[in-house]
Amino acid sequence: MSISTNEQFRKKVDRANKTARIIISFGGYGVIISIIFILLFLMYQSLPLSFSVSIKEMLSFSYDKPDKRIIAIGLDQYQEVYYVLNDKGYVEFYRLSDKVLLLRDSVGLNKDEKILSISKGDYLKDRFAVGTNSGRIIQAEIRMLPEYGKQDRTIVPHFKVKDIYQAEIPTDSIPAHIEELVFRQNDDYDFYVWINHAQELMLRITDDYDEYRKDLTEFLGESKLTKLEMDYNAEKLIAGTISGELFWFDISDPEEVYLKDNWKVSDTPVSSLAFLIGSNTIIIGNTDGQVTGYFPTRTLDNVFRFMPVYSFDTHAAAVEQIYISPRNRTFLTIDSHGKAHLNYSTTNQTQIEFKPFDNTVQAGAIAPKSDGIILIDSKNQIGHYKLEDEHPEATLQTLFGKVWYEGYEKPEFVWQSTGGSDEFEPKFSLIPLIFGTLKGTLYAMLFSIPLALLAAIYVSQFSPKWLSSVIKPTVEIMAALPSVVIGFLAGLYFSPIFEENLMAIFLVSIVVPVVSLFGIMGWRLVPEVQRMRMPLGWELILTFALFIISVWLSFSLADTIENLFFAGNIKQWLYDAWNINYDQRNSLVVGFALGFAVIPIIFTISEDALSNVPDSLTSASLALGASRWQTVYRVVIPAAAGGIFAAVMLGLGRAIGETMIVLMATGNTPILDLSPFNGFRAMSACIAVEIPEAPVGGTLYRILFLTAFLLFIFTFLINSIAARISDKLRKKYARF
Amino acid sequence: MKKMSYFKKKGDSYIIFTATGLILSLAMVVLIMTIILVKGLGFFWPSDLVQVKLQDGKAYLGEQWAESTKHEFDTDGNRITHEEIQFKIGNRDLYGLDFIWLSRNEIEKMEKPKNAFSFERLGYGNFYGFIKSLNIGDKQFNYLDEQSNNAVEAAHDKAVKNRHEIKELENDINKLNTPLVNLQREISLLQLKENKTPEEQNELEKLQKEEQAVTDKINPEYQKLSKKLESIYLENQNIFLNLLTADNREKKLLLADVVRIYRPNDFNVLEKSWIYVKKFYEFVADEPRESNTEGGVFPAIFGTVMMVLLMSIAVVPFGILAAIYLNEYAKQGAIIRMIRLSVNNLAGVPSIVYGIFGLGFFVYALGGTIDQLFFSSTLPEPTFGTGGILWASLTLALLTLPVVIVATEEGILAVPRANKEGALALGSTRWQMVRKIVLPNAMPGILTGLILAISRGAGEVAPLMITGVVKLAPSLPLDASFPFLHLDRKFMHLGFHIYDVGFQSPNVEAAKPMVYTTALLLIVIVVLLNILAIYIRNRLRKKYKTSVF
Repeated sequence: MSISTNEQFRKKVDRANKTARIIISFGGYGVIISIIFILLFLMYQSLPLSFSVSIKEMLSFSYDKPDKRIIAIGLDQYQEVYYVLNDKGYVEFYRLSDKVLLLRDSVGLNKDEKILSISKGDYLKDRFAVGTNSGRIIQAEIRMLPEYGKQDRTIVPHFKVKDIYQAEIPTDSIPAHIEELVFRQNDDYDFYVWINHAQELMLRITDDYDEYRKDLTEFLGESKLTKLEMDYNAEKLIAGTISGELFWFDISDPEEVYLKDNWKVSDTPVSSLAFLIGSNTIIIGNTDGQVTGYFPTRTLDNVFRFMPVYSFDTHAAAVEQIYISPRNRTFLTIDSHGKAHLNYSTTNQTQIEFKPFDNTVQAGAIAPKSDGIILIDSKNQIGHYKLEDEHPEATLQTLFGKVWYEGYEKPEFVWQSTGGSDEFEPKFSLIPLIFGTLKGTLYAMLFSIPLALLAAIYVSQFSPKWLSSVIKPTVEIMAALPSVVIGFLAGLYFSPIFEENLMAIFLVSIVVPVVSLFGIMGWRLVPEVQRMRMPLGWELILTFALFIISVWLSFSLADTIENLFFAGNIKQWLYDAWNINYDQRNSLVVGFALGFAVIPIIFTISEDALSNVPDSLTSASLALGASRWQTVYRVVIPAAAGGIFAAVMLGLGRAIGETMIVLMATGNTPILDLSPFNGFRAMSACIAVEIPEAPVGGTLYRILFLTAFLLFIFTFLINSIAARISDKLRKKYARF
Repeated sequence: MKKMSYFKKKGDSYIIFTATGLILSLAMVVLIMTIILVKGLGFFWPSDLVQVKLQDGKAYLGEQWAESTKHEFDTDGNRITHEEIQFKIGNRDLYGLDFIWLSRNEIEKMEKPKNAFSFERLGYGNFYGFIKSLNIGDKQFNYLDEQSNNAVEAAHDKAVKNRHEIKELENDINKLNTPLVNLQREISLLQLKENKTPEEQNELEKLQKEEQAVTDKINPEYQKLSKKLESIYLENQNIFLNLLTADNREKKLLLADVVRIYRPNDFNVLEKSWIYVKKFYEFVADEPRESNTEGGVFPAIFGTVMMVLLMSIAVVPFGILAAIYLNEYAKQGAIIRMIRLSVNNLAGVPSIVYGIFGLGFFVYALGGTIDQLFFSSTLPEPTFGTGGILWASLTLALLTLPVVIVATEEGILAVPRANKEGALALGSTRWQMVRKIVLPNAMPGILTGLILAISRGAGEVAPLMITGVVKLAPSLPLDASFPFLHLDRKFMHLGFHIYDVGFQSPNVEAAKPMVYTTALLLIVIVVLLNILAIYIRNRLRKKYKTSVF
């Protein structure tokens, strides 16, 4: 009995021992797992940014009426229904999944009348207009709206003719063709521009009451027109010619339409034109296969001109069609051989090339959510493609390089993640953020390193024992001060004071060293014997007095000096003389606040390192007749260099990652300017400000994860370097 | 010349230079602490009311807040200096602004009238003015003298009592109605359903009958309560003051809307101190008012404490396990080096990185999965798939892990080797040794780690603001409704309160004093915790020293 109890007990103990070992080991490995997991998770979240574009063919089938010439095709936002419009004016809506005809309607053409040209009114609105061979322009509406049942969603197509206009009147001898047509609608007017059979460029602007009709042919000279395009706000009309020349008409005022500019793109005829969303960038395709992008910027002579900004991979044949994405700056160019390129304008990249059919492409469209493409070829073969391109705006080039964004005068580093409208193009350059982080760190380190190291040297080497026993806990408490409090004080208390007493602050930084110097000179006059007799810590009393004197001096002199040398207002003077703007929340304030947060770290670690220098070394030095300072300078500091270096690195790591202080004490403007008198936006603050608003899985979300990943790597490297170097130096001096 | 170089060589002067570094650093700490102390503690002191008459006939009554000297240039380029005084004139409903800057030159007269009153109201900030008359019911008493003060005070007490009673009655009525409301919700759910089965139809009828029964049952009580409520409400509507502002505008003020009335100019230091104490108590124990710019910070204190507790529950066991593994189990080698490297780096990773990790992993990945598994009925409204106290605590637990590990290690290292080896030699297993020798002796170290982690957690803001802290939480994460501890709720936090009120408040100027006080509170908490940790650690070190010899 007793044996078995003993046995049981032993088993129990063993079991407990084994379980404990497993659990405790798990705790130990847990630390490694955590940090690796954090790293991997950050990577995993930011990785989709670099995924390349893919186009996957979903369906390929033939439209069952091979004799009809299709001139337009389109998809609804869920890619469940498509429509086709043929040149006889019939429009048919089909369900993609089973090709069931949902609705068939007609534009209402007469016998023998055919559609020659078509223009979609906008990339999101559902109006379009067609021009026929009997001079009529018919405006109609195609809508495919979802209707929600209890469980499901059905797409209900609508079609309606809105307006019919006899643009050209045919006679027996002369036909009235609408060869090319562009139609737009804004809040005030409907705009129609067309080229008729006689190569005349006609413009009609109309609303319910007025109608302006104008013949623009006179502006064109001898040029023969090929294509027309207008931006979606209906302000810029662009006409392309056979000689590769483009004409830009300003039509923002219907009563005063004029030719604003014309320029030559190429020697070959312009074969296709399309404005991207945002209504600024125009994509131009030529018969030699060139694809270029232009947008208007202010030139040197202060005039807006279309400038060549983008150029994409050249097609082997004439660029026949351009289809734009209604969501972003993606567009599809298709040449006369039927080869398609998918491009993204901002990144200046042709992302993918593919050849959908054996024949030439007749019509196509990019789905409203930019996640699909539908194309139809000349043999009425329809292809439906899934487009996977979630983050086209983020490439290495846009994240880290200069990008020429729409409306800018030159390529720049810009961070501007959100804007007012759907047309706004987010700008994701990480450079201003990284720059901001480094700038904040730089000023913080400039402020904190000297102070912390000097203080550490004094406390570890020269101060009396009782003083260090008071100072060390004080500094530890200083380290524990929540950064939100420091940031709040810097942002709301110190920044107005700095602004008001800028002169005095400048003076303090000059006067304090000068006065100390004088103090030192004065001290020299005291006989050495007397000096040696002073108790430990006398320096403190002296410097304290000097400090008070210099601060008092600075503040009382500030006004006079400002009046004498800086015309009474140093801020104004800075602006007048150096063109320096003074922001209230600026890098000086941040340097001060962030420096305050970093001082305890540098101080504590370097003080430890300095104190740990073996007594044998200092005693030997002193015994050999070196003075206190000589000992410190020649023996202690070299011996503790590793620890001091580690201290600085760790302080650096803290400054890089600090969030609340930079968030509250800077204006958070992402600018690239090293001036201490303006703010910046740091990576950490940017994450804190923008991540709550970023849609999960969106580009901004992933870029912010990438930013966090970079921060992680920065600090990881800094910490590891600090650890390595301090280890090395510790070993070097360990022999003493 | 020789003397000079000798002096330089000896370099005593450089010592002065190093001392300057120390003085500057210390001066900064003292400066910051003083600012916070003065501004934070001064906020509750009832300052005197100054009546200002301007040359153009305007008059204001308010507290003097600040003075400043401005330099400007006139058209001839001469420098003019003029002094300005900032007054808090309150009466936001009348003036639109709380603060006004007045130039000394415009001021004709400044005085402190004895009968000037300061009213702290539930809405629209303070009111400064004079009492003309007091209305109770249909009776009106003109304000005359000391006696009237007592009458006003009594009426105020009555109104406040009534206000509390109204709140209680409303609660009672709600409680009374709860079963009925529940029934009605079930009924409406059933009614909404199309194609009801016969059972459901029966159920519906049964519920409707029940509803009728419950209504009949509670009706008399309900009538009684609501009548009482109405009468008290009416009574309170008729207890009000007719006030006069400094510029003789009239204003009617319901006493039920007043938190506190006092005449600072007539009060002595003792009376003022009493108001100070009451205000301080309100600050610590009450809910915030007026978008956090007035009232108290109790929910923020509560939220901070709850979060820190949850964090400790998560981080302490993990930290202790890791520390024990490092010191008692792991063999010297690559693994231990990697763990140490990880701990070092965990300590160095910026807090915002933990925040974004917490948001991506805990909130969206974990929380989203939990929602889909257990709370799919309420989707797309997230339960755990949005920031909450649990996720914030776990994020901070990760952040404070190195602190706990390092402090615990220090505690473990302090346990004398002889004790441990003795235990092993006597035949105990490793676990027995750890449990009986290491852990009890390392307790001070563990405690230090816990305290330091708490202090770090209480002061951290950046990771919290993206994982579950809000400016105003509708309810506390711990309350009387099932399941009592609501881990999914958002919460308030002192540190975030500082950021939010100081930087995102619509009325920053009026909110500033509140922020200083909150900052002071936070600093006091953090500093006390740190002092405690330092004290415990020092004792531990002493013990360690004695055990060596």
